Amino acid sequence: MDALIAKADALGPRQKKRKIFHDSTENSVKKRTAVPKSLQDKDLALNNSSEMQLKPPAQRPCWKMQTCYSLRTRASCRRRETLSGHGGVSQSEIVEGAGQDATRGRREWKLDGGPCRSRYTRNGRHLAIVGSMGHAATFDWLTGTLHAELQLQETCRDITFLHDHSHFAVAQKKYVFIYDRDGVELHCLKAHIEPTRLEFLPYHWLLASIGNAGYLKYQDTSTGQLLVEHRTKFGACSAMTQNLHNAVIHLGHQNGCVTLWTPNLPHPAVQLLAHLGPVASVSVDPSTGGRYMATAGRDSTVKVWDCRNWKGAVREWSARGGPAELEWSQRGALAVASGGTVNVYTSPTIQQPMHGSTQPPLYLTHPIPRRPLNSVRFAPFQDVLTVGHAEGLSSVLVPGVGEPNFDSAEADPFENRKARREKEVKALLDKIQPDMITLDPELIGSLASEPKLSTTTTFDGKPPRGAETPFARLPRLERLRVQGRADESEVVDPDDTAPDGRKLTKEEKERKKMRGKGKSLKRFLRKQRKNVIDPTAVAIRAKLEKQREERKAKAKEQAGGEPRKPSALDRFARG
Amino acid sequence: MKIRVLQHDPAVHLPQRPGDPTPTSRNLDPLMHPFARARERTRALNAAKMDRMFAKPFIASLEGHVDAVEVMAKQPGSLTTVASGSWDGGVIVHHLARRSQLLHAPQAHKGKVSGVCFSREGRLFSCGVDRNIKLWSLESSHTENPQPLTVFTGKSAFNSIDHHNSDPLFATASNLVQIWDETKSLPISNLTFPTSTETITSVRFNLSETSVLASIGSDRTFTLYDIRTGKAERRVVMQMSSNALAWSPTFPTTVLLASEDHNLYTFDIRHLTAPSQIYKGHVAAVMSCDWAPTGLEFVSGGWDRTVRIWTEGRGHSPEVYHTKRMQRVSSALFTSDARFVLSGSDDGNVRVWKAKAAERLGVVTARERAAIEYRDSLKDRWKMDAEVGRVARSRHIPKPVYQAAKLKRTMLEAQRVKGGAEEKAHAGGGKASQRRSGRSWSLQSRRTHSSVKMVVPPFGNLFAQGNRRYVSEDWK
Repeated sequence: MDALIAKADALGPRQKKRKIFHDSTENSVKKRTAVPKSLQDKDLALNNSSEMQLKPPAQRPCWKMQTCYSLRTRASCRRRETLSGHGGVSQSEIVEGAGQDATRGRREWKLDGGPCRSRYTRNGRHLAIVGSMGHAATFDWLTGTLHAELQLQETCRDITFLHDHSHFAVAQKKYVFIYDRDGVELHCLKAHIEPTRLEFLPYHWLLASIGNAGYLKYQDTSTGQLLVEHRTKFGACSAMTQNLHNAVIHLGHQNGCVTLWTPNLPHPAVQLLAHLGPVASVSVDPSTGGRYMATAGRDSTVKVWDCRNWKGAVREWSARGGPAELEWSQRGALAVASGGTVNVYTSPTIQQPMHGSTQPPLYLTHPIPRRPLNSVRFAPFQDVLTVGHAEGLSSVLVPGVGEPNFDSAEADPFENRKARREKEVKALLDKIQPDMITLDPELIGSLASEPKLSTTTTFDGKPPRGAETPFARLPRLERLRVQGRADESEVVDPDDTAPDGRKLTKEEKERKKMRGKGKSLKRFLRKQRKNVIDPTAVAIRAKLEKQREERKAKAKEQAGGEPRKPSALDRFARG
Repeated sequence: MKIRVLQHDPAVHLPQRPGDPTPTSRNLDPLMHPFARARERTRALNAAKMDRMFAKPFIASLEGHVDAVEVMAKQPGSLTTVASGSWDGGVIVHHLARRSQLLHAPQAHKGKVSGVCFSREGRLFSCGVDRNIKLWSLESSHTENPQPLTVFTGKSAFNSIDHHNSDPLFATASNLVQIWDETKSLPISNLTFPTSTETITSVRFNLSETSVLASIGSDRTFTLYDIRTGKAERRVVMQMSSNALAWSPTFPTTVLLASEDHNLYTFDIRHLTAPSQIYKGHVAAVMSCDWAPTGLEFVSGGWDRTVRIWTEGRGHSPEVYHTKRMQRVSSALFTSDARFVLSGSDDGNVRVWKAKAAERLGVVTARERAAIEYRDSLKDRWKMDAEVGRVARSRHIPKPVYQAAKLKRTMLEAQRVKGGAEEKAHAGGGKASQRRSGRSWSLQSRRTHSSVKMVVPPFGNLFAQGNRRYVSEDWK
């Protein structure tokens, strides 16, 4: 069974000669009908499984379900492979099986200039390559027209096209340089010092670079101004990618952290410890709207993360042969180039959560025995994977990974010059302001959520159920109340009580009020009210109480201890 | 083994022959269009900004009058012919497209020309404070000093004139409403509300129920007459007098009043107890109003030197037009194609404006039309966005107008607060609150005897009225 699934270490010697199983009857029937039992796969028939008897009967149903599930998934994977017909097929077989036109995608470029990096334009028509020794070239790879070829004669670390193939930027030894299509140097961006990776955000017209100094810099290529520079505080960085759907920059750092950056936040929007050891490569899945991220570390593991929930990787496995380079294709296939092999995994299985470090079933593998493999790029709208290695580039056919239907309004591989110019102007008009980059791209135009912060509080001092006000934002008294430190004792004003002890009504109080005779102690207490119980206030209150008692006793003594007869003039008496 | 690998056939995606349009393909998967909403918002913002950038509504100024332009009238059935009468007694018929004069009678009347209107045959009636009504033919235009065909003489100064929609009848307003036959030299009937002795300032025939006539007078009334019965039918007394009225061309029961209290009111004449809408925006008395032929918009000109274009049913934030040189606007007019607006002002000019400030004149190609419509729908869709809405709403207005609006807001608010306090204070006594009805705005219908009270403060003191000539003395 495992023989049908290709193994990751394709360079290793094959145990058995692969036998491609062909059954025309099964293939013809399988699509539309239930397969007859005689033709069914042996694995699916659970009754045949000898393992069934090994389990105690109490665990059987659960186990059966699990087995069913795993068998089904494996079977579906295999069926997918067998249907598409290239479980572990070699490139020569694919080239042979595909038509003549598609063979253009299978190429080997021999370049002497050190390990190569490459980048496609958004429409997949043009390819830029740069060798680490300074050999840079851009060309239309479908027609084979060379646009520019430069011998920069210094270390070049990355290359990227700007909005289209008419400009490209190269991360050179000291600075970033921008060249036009003919290779004429247009700008030297001296603000970007010792850059290692470049990314261009096409809808915002921003060129982002990260360098050995660890500064993430955004340069607006439509206005030319350096928009913002963020100090990452993580040191040199050599793994960078963008999420196409929300223009967030993902950086992988030396200490194993992956950070997500937007221009308007001076700190990372998300920071997670992804690997033990430096992060070698980061990539974001465009097929699911940027929902999944894959990271590869020097600890030779590959991890897939769910960007909605960062608690642990969805799936992880170890790639053989050291740190891997990663790239997701438009249809959600993940290419992992490590050691001397490129492995491609397809979509549903990479994102299925799985315990343990089992490798997802391989879709395709291709050996490139020219280490190091330091860039993998899928060509947009093509079934082509381009791998940059020590001796140049090799592009590989990977059936079914490219988006077949392009949209002419977004990226058209067949656009002419006029359309390209028009698109450039339109894109400039539609340029999104950089401060609108957020983690949630649907934020713009959505209804504003109800503000969570409200100072309305209930009587018991707790915030109302609807509005969850954070403790730190509560008013001081509310905070004290929540803590139980508020002075809730009723303030007894000695003026409130009549000499006989009964409470005065409002009118009486008003009449008997001593105007303008605020005593300093009372004033102090009044100010201290609604506040913390502190010893001073308690002492003063006790003192006032004592004075009042004394006064009362004195008044009683003066009255001679005998109650006076009530008189009609009492209503004018004060005090 | 057959393996399918993606390959694009260039023949499908490239034009068949040179000159053919390049084929386009669409993929409506939202994942293929990242930031669709953010980009659309940017486009909406740009559309709103472009709208304001291209908002240059002023087209031309038609000269010829020596003194302030008092009245204007458009010829029914013609897009270009507009007559204007002035305080110097001159009457000019303008051809809008050629910006020329079809008729120029500099001394048509002695004193101001108080009303002009066209008959169905295209002849022009003008009336003035010299107690004459003159009938002009546009054919006699090219003479130096054209003479009227007929002169009708009345007993008192005329304030307004309007022609019947189909019959050879016209109505004039002086201290009473008179109906005249074109062929007779004396009025055929006098219409008056029994108790009214005040001046009638304007009179208009209904456009579809042609025998119904409406007038406004200096006794703050709006009166409806029927010329078949020869009687006044209904009357509404407002708190302040109206300066102009206009019947809606598409809703025959709707009438628009331009009031002295800075507001415009639409009434449904079937329910005269309350106005169907109040249009608040002017900061001084509204002097004139006119409906667009579609009945969806109307224009008003005010004592605050602005022309405002309103959407029917939307009582706030009108389009505002102004220039440095335009003085008090005493007459405003929508042209018959609803594309232009005319304003006649105290500086003696008739100005031509676009009804849509940012509209492009001239030939518009289909692509441009599509782009314009797309921009319009974008603006409409994103008008709730803070920034887009702010750009689309904001108007530069002259400082005096702005200050007056601010002051008016303050006063209204103060009055509201004070009025609320008084209401509370007087909540017990019904008599007391009734006695204060002098402060409130009341409508009285003769039939129903019901009254509606709204607090509309008098704002006569906001704008200096020293040289306000149209005010007749009798009601002050």
